[in-house]
Amino acid sequence: MATDQQTGTWYGTGEAVSRVRGQAFKTLCLSATLLALLSVFVLLLYVANDAFQPLSADTGWLLVTIGTVVVPSLAAVGYYYTRDTRAGETATIALGLPIVSLLLTGGVFITFEHVVSVYQWLSILVSLAVAGGIVYAHSRVRTEADLERLVVVVAVPALALWFIPKLILSLPMLPTQSIALLGSFVVPVAVVVGLFVRRQRENDRDGVIAAVLTLVGAAAGFGVAPVVGITPFVWMLLVTVTAVPVSLYVESVIRRGAGVSGLAFPLIVVGGIVASAVLTDTLGFAGPTPWLDWGFLTNVPSRTPEDAGFYPPLVGSVMMLLIIIISAFPVGVGAALYLEEYAPQRGRWGRLVDLIEVNIGNLAGVPSVVYGVLGLALFIRAGGLGSGTALVGGFTVGLLILPIVIISSQEAISAVPDSMRQASYGMGATKWQTTRNVVLPEALPGIMTGNILAMGRAIGETAPLLIIGAPAVVRIAPNSFTNKFSAMPRQIYTWSGEIDAAFRHGVLAAGVVTLLVVLLLMNGAAILIRNKYQRRE
Amino acid sequence: MSERSIDVDLTRASSGQVVKERIYKWLLFACAALTVFVTAAIIYTLATDAIAFFMTEDASVTGFFTGTEWIARSDGGTFGVWPLVTATLTITFVSALVAVPTGVAAAVYLSEYASDRMRSILKPSLEILAGIPTVVYGYLALVYLTPALQWIGIPVSTFNLLSASVMVGIMIIPMVSSLSEDAMSSVPDSLRQAGYGMGATKYEVSTGVVIPAAISGIFSSFILALSRAIGETMIVVMAAGLRPRMFNFTNPLDNLLSSGQPMTAGMVSAVTSDATGGSATYLSMFALGLTLFVITFVMNLASDYVASRYQEEYQ
Repeated sequence: MATDQQTGTWYGTGEAVSRVRGQAFKTLCLSATLLALLSVFVLLLYVANDAFQPLSADTGWLLVTIGTVVVPSLAAVGYYYTRDTRAGETATIALGLPIVSLLLTGGVFITFEHVVSVYQWLSILVSLAVAGGIVYAHSRVRTEADLERLVVVVAVPALALWFIPKLILSLPMLPTQSIALLGSFVVPVAVVVGLFVRRQRENDRDGVIAAVLTLVGAAAGFGVAPVVGITPFVWMLLVTVTAVPVSLYVESVIRRGAGVSGLAFPLIVVGGIVASAVLTDTLGFAGPTPWLDWGFLTNVPSRTPEDAGFYPPLVGSVMMLLIIIISAFPVGVGAALYLEEYAPQRGRWGRLVDLIEVNIGNLAGVPSVVYGVLGLALFIRAGGLGSGTALVGGFTVGLLILPIVIISSQEAISAVPDSMRQASYGMGATKWQTTRNVVLPEALPGIMTGNILAMGRAIGETAPLLIIGAPAVVRIAPNSFTNKFSAMPRQIYTWSGEIDAAFRHGVLAAGVVTLLVVLLLMNGAAILIRNKYQRRE
Repeated sequence: MSERSIDVDLTRASSGQVVKERIYKWLLFACAALTVFVTAAIIYTLATDAIAFFMTEDASVTGFFTGTEWIARSDGGTFGVWPLVTATLTITFVSALVAVPTGVAAAVYLSEYASDRMRSILKPSLEILAGIPTVVYGYLALVYLTPALQWIGIPVSTFNLLSASVMVGIMIIPMVSSLSEDAMSSVPDSLRQAGYGMGATKYEVSTGVVIPAAISGIFSSFILALSRAIGETMIVVMAAGLRPRMFNFTNPLDNLLSSGQPMTAGMVSAVTSDATGGSATYLSMFALGLTLFVITFVMNLASDYVASRYQEEYQ
């Protein structure tokens, strides 16, 4: 006993005190966490309130909406949360997937409207198909000529892309836009859908059915779309980009038979909204006048807050993302593949590779404004590209997210189990064959997740755009990568300089909510992919 | 046919195959080497134009690093960096006051106390916080936080360092908490069990065992987060204002309540002003950029060093 007393350093000597202290500490830690979260979420609630102005509506409208939309949805959420978590997951995806697909549809529409016309897209596809055919034919005729094929693989597509589009675009007679879209976009999507279903179900017939259904559904637009009041063009995009993934998901849930009741959730929400619209209309209640409405998304910026819109910055952001997707992502994934698959571990090259890795880590910490200066010096002053163009913006922000893309892709690649590589080598595959056929497909979901998150970062970057001279206001949506462009955050910064309260608390809030919704949907999609992938492990 | 298949040499690929493999390897290496090129390009472009800046008659190296006055007009001015540096340091200090305790407390809660369900809600929420663009934080500081501070009776001006630094602090909380939590969860469970075995309470294990064991990771997260705060641009441009003011040592609190111009904001105002391409004001952007780059680069290296040098090895 005496020794016990002597050491005196045993824990738990003051039981009562330490319990209080422990509880206090735990509460303190929890409240710090909640403080950090709530402070921002409360501010965001204010922003949402400013953007949608729900209190400007009649009390009757609010009551009806609460009765038809909010209460049933909350009841459904409560049911899923307490009774059927599996159905809750289904409900989340069933509600989220259509929204994400609609966002994607908007992106594709803007791409066809402003970046590549349908005819350009068609001509590019035709040239690629021709080039692919030639390369395939060459590989069949001269099976052994590997070196020669290397030349063919590089040269033929380049030549085809150079000549054939000009040829097609100079044709005197072109099909209508909708027919061109059917041939150049719907058919490839249908083929992909068919292949996807065939692989999932390991059944040729189902694949053909899926492809034909997609094609028929899209082609039905020629008859149905005018009746609904939209052009066949929009109908086809809606069918291929929104309806197809949603129906594939619904079908898979029903076939699996687990959590089917979750599919009712979007119906409850949409049904509630329709019922509320009908009821308030017949009862004569006036709805709110939100700043964020269809007009805001489709108008151009204006000096009067009521007319101010967000369309040109939306187009600019889409263009910037397209540049990033075709420039930074391949480079980033390539670098990650080298570092994970090829890089030597030791020797002089190994030290060089270590240096590269340290360097990538440091680049991730370089302030974004410095990347803006780099873009200004590299692309505008040395490269001779026009200041403030979508091309420069995409390249600059692409460089900024390159380290993030590399690091997240590296994580995804290193998670591929080594046994799969060994198996591939054991079958006689070379390093590149292993990388392409085994490692890359296996790591793809992880790489996609990282890339989507990096895109989220890219879409919110403002400082580099200021430095490369993206103009404060762009009144006409850019139609080419070499036009001056403005992205969403750039426009938000411009509006923040307005002193008018209608701008500060109205237009600005609407812009911020738009940006945040886009971001939230992108992050949500990334998390969905990650979860689906992790569960399979 | 069968004759031919016997002839096939399984151990050696054809020369074309070898060349192809090599080309792919070098292509991928080029992708990785591009990142080195990016660093080199940053240093080169910043350095050449910074030198051009110091060559102009309005600026000098000693004047830049010792001057306490920054006046950037379109035709020249006085360029002493200290007003900008002190504003940056003020913002960094106050944001650290906000972010460091909150971030560490959040990390302790997430790593030691939170149930699985709680963690599955809190962690994604913090991730969302980390994903919010800085222009949105700047907008929140300018349009909501500053009026709120004025409403509770703090006499801040429309543009002020206080709301900017609080927002920067909130912005870097997720960074501190997620990196610190990583460090804490990598402390092996046997250490905690040993603590419990000694009769320690959860509180004593958390503060006496886990935090000391993870201290290198926690410190490296501080350094990274502060380097992020130093390089933060949009919040300070929008909420702190664009007017450089020298730090007022006689009344330190006064600095927080009034506007100021940190280094990043100085760069933005140099490029968005109507200063022409070769003028000292325009070129001052590069000198500021180089200073900023060096500071953040050194801090990132220091963070790496702290994390690896003082890391306890648990096997």
